[in-house]
Amino acid sequence: MDVVSLSSSSSLSMSMPFQFHGHNKQRGSNVRFGTVSCRATRQESLYKILSVSPGSATMDEIKRAYRSMALRYHPDVCHDPSMKEESTRMFVQLNAAYETLSNPNLRAQYDHELGLRSKVVMNINVGSDDHERWGSGLHEEVIELKTRSRRRMGHKGGSGSCSWGSTSRMRTQNMKGRHSFS
Amino acid sequence: MVEPAYTVTSDSETTGEEKSTTFPEIAIGIDIGTSQCSVAVWNGSQVELLKNTRNQKIMKSYVTFKDNIPSGGVSSQLSHEDEMFSGAAIFNMKRLIGRVDTDPVVHACKNLPFLVQTLDIGVRPLIAPLVNNMWRSTTPEEVLAIFLVELRAMAEAQLKRRIRNVVLTVPVSFSRFQLTRIERACAMAGLHVLRLMPEPTAVALLYGQQQQQTSHENMGSGSEKIALIFNMGAGYCDVAVTATAGGVSQIKALAGSTIGGEDLLQNMMQHLLPDSQNLFKNHGIKEIKQMGLLRIATQDAIHRLSSQSCTQVDVDLGDGLKICKVVDREVFEQVNRKVFEKCESLIIQCLQDAKLEVEDLDDVIIVGGCSYIPRVKNLVNNICKGKKIYEGMNPLEAAVCGAAVEGAVASGINDPFGNLDLLTIQATPLAIGIRADGNNFVPVIPRDTTMPARKELVFTTVHDNQTEALILVYEGEGKKAEENHLLGYFKIMGIPAAPKGVPEINVCMDIDAANVLRVLAIVLMPGSREPAIPVMEVRMPTVDDDHGWCAQALNRTYGASLDLLTLRKKA
Repeated sequence: MDVVSLSSSSSLSMSMPFQFHGHNKQRGSNVRFGTVSCRATRQESLYKILSVSPGSATMDEIKRAYRSMALRYHPDVCHDPSMKEESTRMFVQLNAAYETLSNPNLRAQYDHELGLRSKVVMNINVGSDDHERWGSGLHEEVIELKTRSRRRMGHKGGSGSCSWGSTSRMRTQNMKGRHSFS
Repeated sequence: MVEPAYTVTSDSETTGEEKSTTFPEIAIGIDIGTSQCSVAVWNGSQVELLKNTRNQKIMKSYVTFKDNIPSGGVSSQLSHEDEMFSGAAIFNMKRLIGRVDTDPVVHACKNLPFLVQTLDIGVRPLIAPLVNNMWRSTTPEEVLAIFLVELRAMAEAQLKRRIRNVVLTVPVSFSRFQLTRIERACAMAGLHVLRLMPEPTAVALLYGQQQQQTSHENMGSGSEKIALIFNMGAGYCDVAVTATAGGVSQIKALAGSTIGGEDLLQNMMQHLLPDSQNLFKNHGIKEIKQMGLLRIATQDAIHRLSSQSCTQVDVDLGDGLKICKVVDREVFEQVNRKVFEKCESLIIQCLQDAKLEVEDLDDVIIVGGCSYIPRVKNLVNNICKGKKIYEGMNPLEAAVCGAAVEGAVASGINDPFGNLDLLTIQATPLAIGIRADGNNFVPVIPRDTTMPARKELVFTTVHDNQTEALILVYEGEGKKAEENHLLGYFKIMGIPAAPKGVPEINVCMDIDAANVLRVLAIVLMPGSREPAIPVMEVRMPTVDDDHGWCAQALNRTYGASLDLLTLRKKA
């Protein structure tokens, strides 16, 4: 079984592309996630992006929060051309958070993962040939988010290329996870 | 004082300038329909439709080339209705713009009185009006620009200021290439496109504004309202699902197709005169006249069928050709069965994409010229299980009003009553992806992705020691690459020699705040975190008018030698 461990430090340790093994029938109960950089999760949790309280926020609150944040960060609302790129980036991030938290299934899994954040690495128990997109979906979100926060730490402002290597690498892993099922 | 350095703008026709640089002027909203058009502007407190000198708010979209001076439906008055069908007038520009001559939509336009000539090889068709017994070539962009100049002059005369910025509504099914042709026509008319809005999303914005006003009046908290918007005009049919609350409208899903009143009309003409296509093929003067007469008679009959269940078509086409037929709604609906079925499938698809049930809808909105047709109302009603149709909008004015509201919002105008504290979160109407896994279209940004967006997918080589790969970027919904619109192409060169499946080619697509699409390709080799070769970044679309031809040529020249494969996990 290949396990991925992403550390939260700026360097990544990734021995193999992550894979899912195990059973697909018991979604929800046995599905767990390989990964994950806990510090980054804590710092940049999806809840924090939306400024809602983890766990207890209702769907209505999440939607409301998304809308009020969109009114602040959507590039259409930003009339300062020099800030356009930054607001675009913020909005894309906001969207990723909303997509996970507004989907009850993805949110449940994300909560589950947050609850187990003290463990550094978890094994994955999903069939390798199945179409467990649900599981891979959250994976994407989490990793993508981290990629983004990493990218932001890596280079401020702009789509510069100084951390292309590491970010691309992460995305590559992420994509492998997604497309191994298709 | 030091003069600011001169900066060169991008060479791409879709200019890279920030589309919402703050101009003090309020952008006007324009709805150029296939058959009708209108202009509206935010007058400081509400949306106002502009009228031409003949006091019309809705004008016919056509340009006549009589007497060498083109004049459009904004300023000119046709002496007879059949003048529009004499061959001298170009209309249905919106059906022709940005299409190649292999497109079935272009072929359907060959039944129009002006000349639409195709070579059927994937180049732009020749379009020509009949001027003094001469076919004189023009282009859809040129015709549209002439028309836009008239609209602009009309707006400038009324608003007593120079007009430069516009928000235009476009069909959902328009490809990014077609959007560049609209931008091109605007540029030719001296207009700067602040935003191109899919028509139902303009309606969604108007709906969002109305909901916000209602919730202000009721001092309510403004709970989320979900609406289905069905828009069917002469040329296109669009559907959108929007969720709105607190002035923020989120487009959940979009669906669209090139079907509309024009198809209903042509199918009906075919029914009344089964041999009409052959008869009019050669575009003789006599046949053009006959075609015009038949068109007018059929159009009138369809209009009558909206209010009565049965009508008689009685027209003398000359030359001993007389048509005298009674047609009823049943016949009309039977003749156009496929069109209506397509409408139904668009609505169903849109609801599915939005992951919603009919029960989740708060409102159902029907707009566009075809909304007066009983069958159209019925089909929407049937799918939406008898939900009451929203009544707060004029079906012919909703899109242009939405565009005018967007024009004010995008121009940074503030309204003291909060009527412009609005935002539309747009979604991609079509999937964007590349050709891979043989001749398949592999979406990188799926349809209905919230914009701005950035997505990526990893591909790999299909041959051992493959050092080059061709990235063909398409937009659309087809499974096979060629069923979609080609947006552009570029080659990745210098991939390090390796067994097939080893190099990782990360294709990243980025749609920025100005709706500009960039495609990036990053080559990574196992064990390295740095790109093996410099990253390619290409702005789309790169194609020209001959893109159909171009796609075939690319295929012929390169075949499978530069193919890509979606990267699958090694077991």
